[in-house]
Amino acid sequence: MASKKKPGRTGVVIIGAGASGAAAAKVLCEAGVKVVALEKGPWRTRESFGGDELANVNRYNLWPDPLLNPRTWRESADQKARVDLFCPVPQMVGGGTVHWQGWLPRFTENDFRLRTIAGDLPEASLADWPITYDELEPYYLKVEWAFGVSGQSGANRFEAHRSGGYPCPPMPVSRYVEKFHKGCSALGWNSFPMPQAALSRPYNGRKATVVSAFAQQHGDPSGTRSSALNVFVPDALATGNYELRPECIVRELVLDGQGRIKAAIYEDSDGDAIEQEADLFILACGAVETARLLLLSKSGRFPHGLANGSDLVGRNVTFHEYSAAVGTYDDPIYAWAGGGYVSASTFQHYEHDASRGFVSGGHLAVAGVGIPLPVNWHLPGAPAWGAEAKKIDRDYFNHSLAVAMVLHDMPQHDNRVDLDDEVVDAWGLPVARITLKPHRNDLDQGRYLIDRGAEILEASGAANIRKVYASRITGNCSHQHGTARMGHDPATSVLNKWCRAHEVDNLFAVDGSPFPTATGANPTLTIMSNAWRVADRIVRGRGA
Amino acid sequence: MAHSFFTAYQRATIEAAMARIIPTDDTPGAREAGCIDFVDRYLSGIEFIFAKPDGSGFEVLKGRIADAWRRRIEIMRTRYIEGILDLDSRSRKAFSANFADLAPEHQDSILREVEKKSQIKQIAATADGPALQQTSTEVDLDFFPLLVAHTRQGFYADPIYGGNRGRIGWQVIGFPGPASLKEVHEGRYTTLQYFADGEAEKVREFHDGL
Repeated sequence: MASKKKPGRTGVVIIGAGASGAAAAKVLCEAGVKVVALEKGPWRTRESFGGDELANVNRYNLWPDPLLNPRTWRESADQKARVDLFCPVPQMVGGGTVHWQGWLPRFTENDFRLRTIAGDLPEASLADWPITYDELEPYYLKVEWAFGVSGQSGANRFEAHRSGGYPCPPMPVSRYVEKFHKGCSALGWNSFPMPQAALSRPYNGRKATVVSAFAQQHGDPSGTRSSALNVFVPDALATGNYELRPECIVRELVLDGQGRIKAAIYEDSDGDAIEQEADLFILACGAVETARLLLLSKSGRFPHGLANGSDLVGRNVTFHEYSAAVGTYDDPIYAWAGGGYVSASTFQHYEHDASRGFVSGGHLAVAGVGIPLPVNWHLPGAPAWGAEAKKIDRDYFNHSLAVAMVLHDMPQHDNRVDLDDEVVDAWGLPVARITLKPHRNDLDQGRYLIDRGAEILEASGAANIRKVYASRITGNCSHQHGTARMGHDPATSVLNKWCRAHEVDNLFAVDGSPFPTATGANPTLTIMSNAWRVADRIVRGRGA
Repeated sequence: MAHSFFTAYQRATIEAAMARIIPTDDTPGAREAGCIDFVDRYLSGIEFIFAKPDGSGFEVLKGRIADAWRRRIEIMRTRYIEGILDLDSRSRKAFSANFADLAPEHQDSILREVEKKSQIKQIAATADGPALQQTSTEVDLDFFPLLVAHTRQGFYADPIYGGNRGRIGWQVIGFPGPASLKEVHEGRYTTLQYFADGEAEKVREFHDGL
């Protein structure tokens, strides 16, 4: 690697330009802070996205290519890990928000105090969050209004206090949402339109969503869904304070003589090694990659990885799990319309209830079975090929529906991300190795939630109901949390309540890594709100 | 044929197998949809991996991504060549003829044998459940699940990839897909009319031209 001229020192380096990194960049840049963002992936624009399931879902046009960015997985530390694209998230400017359909429920008050609510669970490492719902609430509202979220205030009976409503009314009602509400209503359960990162009305100069069939897992060429790429990045750029450098692979963070971070060392797209100095460094790589970068950054001061004196970096990782009960209806419900994820949810089984015999719960939501076509659509239990398989495609493609869960998996000390000792990525760096075994609670809660999903299907008139229980955590929903827990006690957490490393005072992490627990809801609204909160604090700290 | 990988004989064998995976009945199957053209062109190199999002052609792959795709295509080519040899050797042993020359029910019986052998590597999503959020890694699949995946892709993916000829696959299942990738790319493709009754009308005023 040759060396180019060293770039000038900056105020803040943010590593990653996805949901959390772009949110933090917007807030810092709008307050006048100079930010350099180092993003591993390309900087694509919406003109590069299209309605192409084969490319987007099956050929890694948006997903990371597993030959370039492998990970490995094993169940326990005594096993050899095998290559597995565990919990991938698009690696590009905008990150996961580029291809999501943007379910944005808020967490509930009890999510921030699970250990207080549920007590100790053997083998698990439950913890309260060092922040409360009330502390985060103003930032929830800021993100919802920045994104133009379409939702209905007060419709989720289990949601806590809101200081304001949603900027756009709920999305148009799909036929699958009608079925879901009908089922929940028959069971006496509260259900509500899913708050979504798409515009049901024109908003902030952007058009209302066209409701294409290519949405979930497809980039949006119309710009009518909301993402970090089309909201936070333009906001940050408009200040003139945001320098976004795509295709820059950060190899390590290096320290100065005082034990503070001096610079990020990265490789640019020409393969040149560059050193970027800054006052502050914010990790926003996603919980897995943030842990990996900390562990890659070894020094005399931190021989086991940066800010890892506690040996907690990478531990207590949680991933949720997405699985579903699936049924079919006599009447067509077109659960591919809108991409299959213009959805509704119920939090009826979300809160902890000791009488169920397991800790906590998760939300249930309605979705299509495919993404959307039978390229990937497949009914559980159906044959893979032959006349019967074709008949099932033909008879049920327009008639099938899933009620899916977001499993609240329990944090465990031995579930962790560390560095693989054999496998390297295309840049020669050791890949993230996931060691993960489901907790008994995960399996019990998963069965319970899938059973409730099946009841919703049944109560809404579905037939051929099949339950797909989660038998392990596969990382299949791109949600990742907990590898650098925030907390008050440096012995049991990596970050403090402001997401600053206990051991390194100019290091922050703002993705899912600070989450002490996974909760049972989609995390990205909370990740972005927390990033906004932390960035706000940094701004105030600099002013003082 | 330009942009082809298979020999004529290999093409005939794979086309015959695909015709059992999505058979022709009172509606068209893999044969009519041109699934063989889809896979033959896919394996020809790295020129047809990603369609341009407006449908105006294909992306030219560069750098590490191109390298990864060359590796991937090479792995799949080997799997197909070995898979075809295996089909024929089983066919000759059981029915004294090559696979392509067998009666359909004999072809099915050979395919069931091969499927059984490869089931360990069948993607869980296809065997037990819906696709949910993630799909398999192609290069991890054995020959038969790979062939099934490619047959389905050739039948249902956008016609620009060489299969789903005349949008036959979409017609079979009743999917009113976009007229072209360009329609989606320009933001003109909507499925609001397949939402609940009256919903499209309620938001019509917020859309120009839909």
